[in-house]
Amino acid sequence: MKIVVAIKQVPKTDSVKIDEKTNNLVRNGVEGVINQFDKNAIEAALQIKDETNAEVIALSMGPNDFETSLRGALAMGADSAVLLSSRAFAGADTLATAAVLASAIKKIGDVDLVVFGRQAVDADTGQVGPIVADKLDLPQITYASSLRVIGDSRVSAVSLLDHSEKRISAQLPAVVTVRSELNKPRYATPRNIMLSFDKDITVWSEKDLDVPENELGQAGSPTIVTKVYSPEKAAKQTMNLEGDPTTVAEKLISELSAKNVL
Amino acid sequence: MTNNLETWVYIENHFNHVDPSSLQLVTKAKEISDGPVVAVITETPNQNLESEVKPYGADKIVIIKDEALNEANDDTIANALVELAKKDLPNAFLFSATVTGRSIAPRVQSELKTGLTADCLDLRFEDDLLIASKPSYGDNVMCEITCPKTRPQMASVRPNTFKAVEATPTSEVVTANLAVKVDDRITIDTETPLVADDTNINSATRIIALGRGAQSEQVIAHAKAVAARIGATIAVSRPLTDLPEFSHEQQIGQSGNTVAPELIINLGISGAVQYTVGMQNADTIVSVNTDENAPIFESSDYKYVGDAEEFLQGLLKQL
Repeated sequence: MKIVVAIKQVPKTDSVKIDEKTNNLVRNGVEGVINQFDKNAIEAALQIKDETNAEVIALSMGPNDFETSLRGALAMGADSAVLLSSRAFAGADTLATAAVLASAIKKIGDVDLVVFGRQAVDADTGQVGPIVADKLDLPQITYASSLRVIGDSRVSAVSLLDHSEKRISAQLPAVVTVRSELNKPRYATPRNIMLSFDKDITVWSEKDLDVPENELGQAGSPTIVTKVYSPEKAAKQTMNLEGDPTTVAEKLISELSAKNVL
Repeated sequence: MTNNLETWVYIENHFNHVDPSSLQLVTKAKEISDGPVVAVITETPNQNLESEVKPYGADKIVIIKDEALNEANDDTIANALVELAKKDLPNAFLFSATVTGRSIAPRVQSELKTGLTADCLDLRFEDDLLIASKPSYGDNVMCEITCPKTRPQMASVRPNTFKAVEATPTSEVVTANLAVKVDDRITIDTETPLVADDTNINSATRIIALGRGAQSEQVIAHAKAVAARIGATIAVSRPLTDLPEFSHEQQIGQSGNTVAPELIINLGISGAVQYTVGMQNADTIVSVNTDENAPIFESSDYKYVGDAEEFLQGLLKQL
């Protein structure tokens, strides 16, 4: 069984820098970490690998320093990694990103399962997984809190929604996005870290992929960031509760009871 | 560019009821759109979800009725919406940023080869251009995003960002004439409600939120005790998601969840705007912090400059 885990390296968010010309994040040179939910995705793939000896390939689109996160995935136990890196990919929104990832997955070939984290914590869109599924014409299971592979041909999962949960089964190949309830990602053991240095990270650019030029990068992105700003807030009438904690608690409870809030 | 100036709102439904966040979107769409607002419903032939949508006054309701829409998977619903949209591309197409909305909308986006801005906290139009405001890059910035060249301009909106308001009921209700293409590679075996989900902060009417100044084991235990007495749910600001027992799902804030409970009690939270933007629509806000200059007090109805632990002890004595 062949599993691709699509991961994203996200900025450690206290180091945010915006390019004033493009309004996009300056990703180069900013300290990056594996997106938290992608660790759950890697773990999900590795658990299947533990049981079935599946092949796990980590895949990411980004500048060269995304190798850090791919190395992290290898150190957790992924077999190999592919980095999609090119100036031509820069400025991609979710549609253009998914076009490149889908093309790479096709090039990798014979992929049974593609796993994504539910969303990346920088842009929080959660869109790339489902768009990739659509581009590959694959069924999708999203927000999986439970996941099981059945033989080589089916996957069974629980999708955890806002107020309900769905038990779903799907034919493989399929795309699954996972949420943190699914598992606890393993730490890279010293042995696996050492082994990971011998594993390959293949780098592909647009020349290696079959995506029309007008679907790449900023040109392939219907959306554009027009403004970046710091959020503002509104003023309020505040009642100051004074006195010792017991008095304060008394006053608050009586205020809230009077308003029917408690 | 299309002449169609309609703003469509996808009406999400579960267990034969419309999701309230979809109705919130209808109200917002009416507020900001010059063009007609169309509520789009997918349902089975014997459902009547339009009765729940009519009171919110969309200009038109379009219903896609098919037996296949019973517990339909994302692909099937997306197929139906794409089929409908392709007939006459609307100017804008809005979804709730619920799990369902966030699963279906990108498939529609991909088929229509257009732009989708997810998890918006505000929307407005400049002429027919939709301007979507959403948080980005963790807690630090807000972005305005547009989709100038393709249609429909798509956006998903965080639930509880807007309020649903009843208006003159919709009179134009049409059933769409299209065949639904089912994706049978995927089966929903069951969907069951999460009944006593006491960790779900989005539906909580009362919340006790813990921040850096309230993260000791003792404070957390006492906060839980108070929560149990008043029927509240525990939520956290971003720093506490590093603790093993809390995750992004309990986080309030720009990069977390937006909540609008009847009561929120903030403990040990300084109240940077990236936090407050996630709870400022709460009806009553009580905040406790040892720092009298904590910005959270500016957003609060009740302020106590003091220690969270002592405050909780005080409450426990009275409740």
